[in-house]
Amino acid sequence: MRVLIVEDEEKLSGIVARGLKGEGFAVDIAADGEKGLELATSYAYDAIILDIMLPKISGTAVLEGIRQKNHHVPIIMLTAKDAVGDKVKHIDAGADDYLTKPFSCSELLVRIRALLRRSPVQRSDTIKIADLEIDRLSRQVKRGGKRIELSAKEYALLEYLALNSDRVLSRAMIIEHVWDESFEALTNIVDVYIRQLRSKIDDGHDKKLIKTVRGIGYAINHEAGA
Amino acid sequence: MNTRSIYFRLILWYSGLIVVMSLAFGGYIYQGVQKRLYHEMKQTLTHRAENIAKSILPRLHDETPAVLAAQIKEVYSPEANGRLIRILDQGHSIVYVSGEPVDGHFDPAKIPVTTRNIQTKRIEQISPDFAMFIVTFPTEVQGQSYFIEMGMPTDDIEAALKGLIVTLFFGLPVMVLIVSGGGYLLVRQSLQPVEDIRATAEKITFGNLSNRLPVPKTGDALEHLSMTLNQMLNRLEAAYEQASRFSADASHELRTPLTIIRGELESIASEQNLSEVLHDRIGSVLEETERLSQIVESLFAISRLDAGEAKIQHVQFDLAALVRSTADQMSLLAEEKNISVQIVADTHVLVEGDPSRIKQVVVNLLDNAIKYTPKDGSIIIKISAAQRKAILEVCDNGIGIPASSLPHVFERFYRADKTRSRETMGAGLGLAIVKSICLAHGGNVDIQSIEGKGTSCRVELPQDKSIETNG
Repeated sequence: MRVLIVEDEEKLSGIVARGLKGEGFAVDIAADGEKGLELATSYAYDAIILDIMLPKISGTAVLEGIRQKNHHVPIIMLTAKDAVGDKVKHIDAGADDYLTKPFSCSELLVRIRALLRRSPVQRSDTIKIADLEIDRLSRQVKRGGKRIELSAKEYALLEYLALNSDRVLSRAMIIEHVWDESFEALTNIVDVYIRQLRSKIDDGHDKKLIKTVRGIGYAINHEAGA
Repeated sequence: MNTRSIYFRLILWYSGLIVVMSLAFGGYIYQGVQKRLYHEMKQTLTHRAENIAKSILPRLHDETPAVLAAQIKEVYSPEANGRLIRILDQGHSIVYVSGEPVDGHFDPAKIPVTTRNIQTKRIEQISPDFAMFIVTFPTEVQGQSYFIEMGMPTDDIEAALKGLIVTLFFGLPVMVLIVSGGGYLLVRQSLQPVEDIRATAEKITFGNLSNRLPVPKTGDALEHLSMTLNQMLNRLEAAYEQASRFSADASHELRTPLTIIRGELESIASEQNLSEVLHDRIGSVLEETERLSQIVESLFAISRLDAGEAKIQHVQFDLAALVRSTADQMSLLAEEKNISVQIVADTHVLVEGDPSRIKQVVVNLLDNAIKYTPKDGSIIIKISAAQRKAILEVCDNGIGIPASSLPHVFERFYRADKTRSRETMGAGLGLAIVKSICLAHGGNVDIQSIEGKGTSCRVELPQDKSIETNG
């Protein structure tokens, strides 16, 4: 799997590259739009991470240039948050996803994984984590064979964690997926729902599945966590 | 009435001046008329005295006094006309005197004779309300000196003068009234440009700072004033733009370093052989980084909204439905503190605007209400429509806000209680964002609070013009 990062901030591209390499990706870095377009149209990448503000050729122009030649490579744009119109414009122009700075690397990895497995991998209807079972069709949750009643939000939260198991999800990511952007200032809402979810999933079990990673977020682990 | 207003003072001065001038003018007229009337009377009497001197006196030695008297009576009939005719000789002894007038106003014998030898005029006060104007005319007949005294009552002149005073007396207030009214209109008209400038200036806010005041083409101080004010607005606009551009640029530039800091910290945090203590510290730094990111985002959002640069959708949606779903998504926050959230809504309160931003308003207000309401409290959200405005009220019975803090709660970074809000991770920007969103929608937000009793926030948003609510 090979990923191209088009980003003029060397440190930022370095961090992202490190994160991707840690996940087993091969990574190329282009520091400006011109180089990025050249690399993107010369090699077959599995995914491209493209900043909008680039020297020489803007990210938008690079996006259009890539899409003229290659219709399928997944592209994630790094955008400014407020630019709602920009997002729509770039999605229309062929971007598959967008991420706003400042973002968390784990968030970027989650998104790239999602893009890469989007079409080929058919995800199963049931998720199993240790003795926790989630039936995605009937939205039923069982732990150790016992049914657990969850509210719609609690279920959405648990499913999102479970789909990205063993991966730390930031509060911002959780809010964006389970709630929406309007709630982004409300990071404590995640803590409250996690607390509730924990009491339903983990109370009375020796294995605590939901793990807190201080400063980063929450994860659900196959192995027992603290 | 405001006695210090320019209106009042101008009109007061104006009217005062008119009163003084009218009094002076009235006095002048009165004096003039009085002088003229007495002058005419003197002329008439002198003229008659001359006639008597010419045609009657020369016959004084030929005729008996009785014949003379009969002649005077025939020509002048002083008794019938209420006049006095008297002829004195050199030693001021009476040669002839007319009889008592038929109206009996005076007794000719009691009117004192003149003691001087020259032509004079004088007024003899006969009774408190009756006076005679007497002209003495010296003449000489056949070497003998005579004095002819001609008298006439002044009551005709006094009556005319009295009439003049009455006319002036009643005319003055009318004149002052008319002139003051005219003055008022004049003042108002000449102050109208000032009023226009004021009305326009009042409407200028940070949302429409590009508006300018009307410049009246008067070529005077007023034109200069409005031009000067407009130049001041230019500078103000430039400064404001610079300020908001600065916060937008600054927050934009902060994003990349923040991403890098976060990325580095996260990668350190994921190191396997990190000690527990270090891990905890990194986590703490990450938490603050997250907070910093949020502040940067909020500041950026506010400056874009305030500068009118934010793209705001204009779709029509049901505010009540939006509030219900939002409150539902936050229900656990309230449940955890056992706070009851009650929604009282008219059906279909339509609002035209950006649903995601209005939702942010609802989220921030409800979150605040939950935060500052103690356990077992209650929150009521009211949604209604009145006068083409949708009204959203979020009322709680929480700890409230001190009156001294109330005017500042919509300011950026303001915290009513420094120690309390720390735990909530906020930066004191929640209400500032609410206000910016409301203003950007052409709406408004207001807050009322009693410390210890609760707080209520009221948001007004414009409704769609074409569709009325049925609630």
